[in-house]
Amino acid sequence: MRPNDRKYLKSHEWCLVEDGVATIGISDYAVSHLSDLVFLDLPEVGSQVSAGANFGEIESVKAVSDLYSPVSGEVVETNEALVDDIESLNIDNALDTGWMLKVKFTEESADLMDAAAYEECLKNEAD
Amino acid sequence: MLQSGVGHPCFNMGLDEALLHSEDSPPTLRIYRWSPPGLSLGYFQRASDFLDVAGDHVVVRRVTGGGAIYHGDEITFSLTVGASLLPSDIGASYDLIHDAVRAALADVGVEAHRRGDSAGQPTRGPARPKQPWCFADPVCEDLLTTSGHMLLGSAQRRVQRPKERILHHGSLVLSAPEATPFCGSVAEETDPRRVEAALEEAMTKRLATSLGLTAAQGFPTEMELEHATRLAKERYGSEAFTLRR
Repeated sequence: MRPNDRKYLKSHEWCLVEDGVATIGISDYAVSHLSDLVFLDLPEVGSQVSAGANFGEIESVKAVSDLYSPVSGEVVETNEALVDDIESLNIDNALDTGWMLKVKFTEESADLMDAAAYEECLKNEAD
Repeated sequence: MLQSGVGHPCFNMGLDEALLHSEDSPPTLRIYRWSPPGLSLGYFQRASDFLDVAGDHVVVRRVTGGGAIYHGDEITFSLTVGASLLPSDIGASYDLIHDAVRAALADVGVEAHRRGDSAGQPTRGPARPKQPWCFADPVCEDLLTTSGHMLLGSAQRRVQRPKERILHHGSLVLSAPEATPFCGSVAEETDPRRVEAALEEAMTKRLATSLGLTAAQGFPTEMELEHATRLAKERYGSEAFTLRR
């Protein structure tokens, strides 16, 4: 069971809220399915992101996938170490040190799910 | 199936992206050519790496990944489908498409094999590309000629919103361009002009069969064409996008 201290989107981003700041990353499931990550593009600190809209892109095996924001608000920090070494993102650190950005948020996506609902969603995807 | 004929590099990229974002569009195979011939960069590549070879050629940045391709004498295709039609595993989706193209090549008497099928080749190499050119850096799913040169370049874009859809770009080289002589080509085995039409027909049939579909001729909608024209001008024809990295 994935940690229930955060919420998840069907598009496999997670969001952990503390003191009005949402830390955002992608799930271990996403990392496992993307495999062989090579490039990551994140928004600049100070820019705005919108819940449900694209906030960045990630490339693996010559395929670029969009990343979607679980919240609306202002980007206050990005994980530059991860941008420089995206190959280090793996299923063991995806939900922890593999975070991508922190957003001082004003609104959460209505599509966010708890861990149990996300697990159910993954089961349906596998069927 | 859209038989698009010859298009400007910016329009070609614009129509492919328009089809990716066209929610109600059926699974679409588009076969086309480039006029003038052009250089396409992978989405994450640095444009400055290609200034010396770009010369007077039109340079466009693709929304798909991978390395740069000089589009000369080749069959270019885009496959735009709902994500459920292809395996969610990216490598497996390349395998499905490449197997169909390999079967089509065999239909016209051209032999090709997957790099990963070669004796002694690793099933998976290092993730980060070593070479800026797509055809200089084959991965295990890529198709090679009998001489061991890469014959088919592939890349994808995957979006989840508003619907889960995949754009697959493919470049099947007919004759190796002067700018990228290391490409494998159909010309290694036969006269491309003799098999070109039959190869396009075989690719259409084989790809449709692999997806469990039957191919039928179609046309882009007015809305898709309008979107493509806007993207060609505002995105692919814009230095801000092409030189963004």
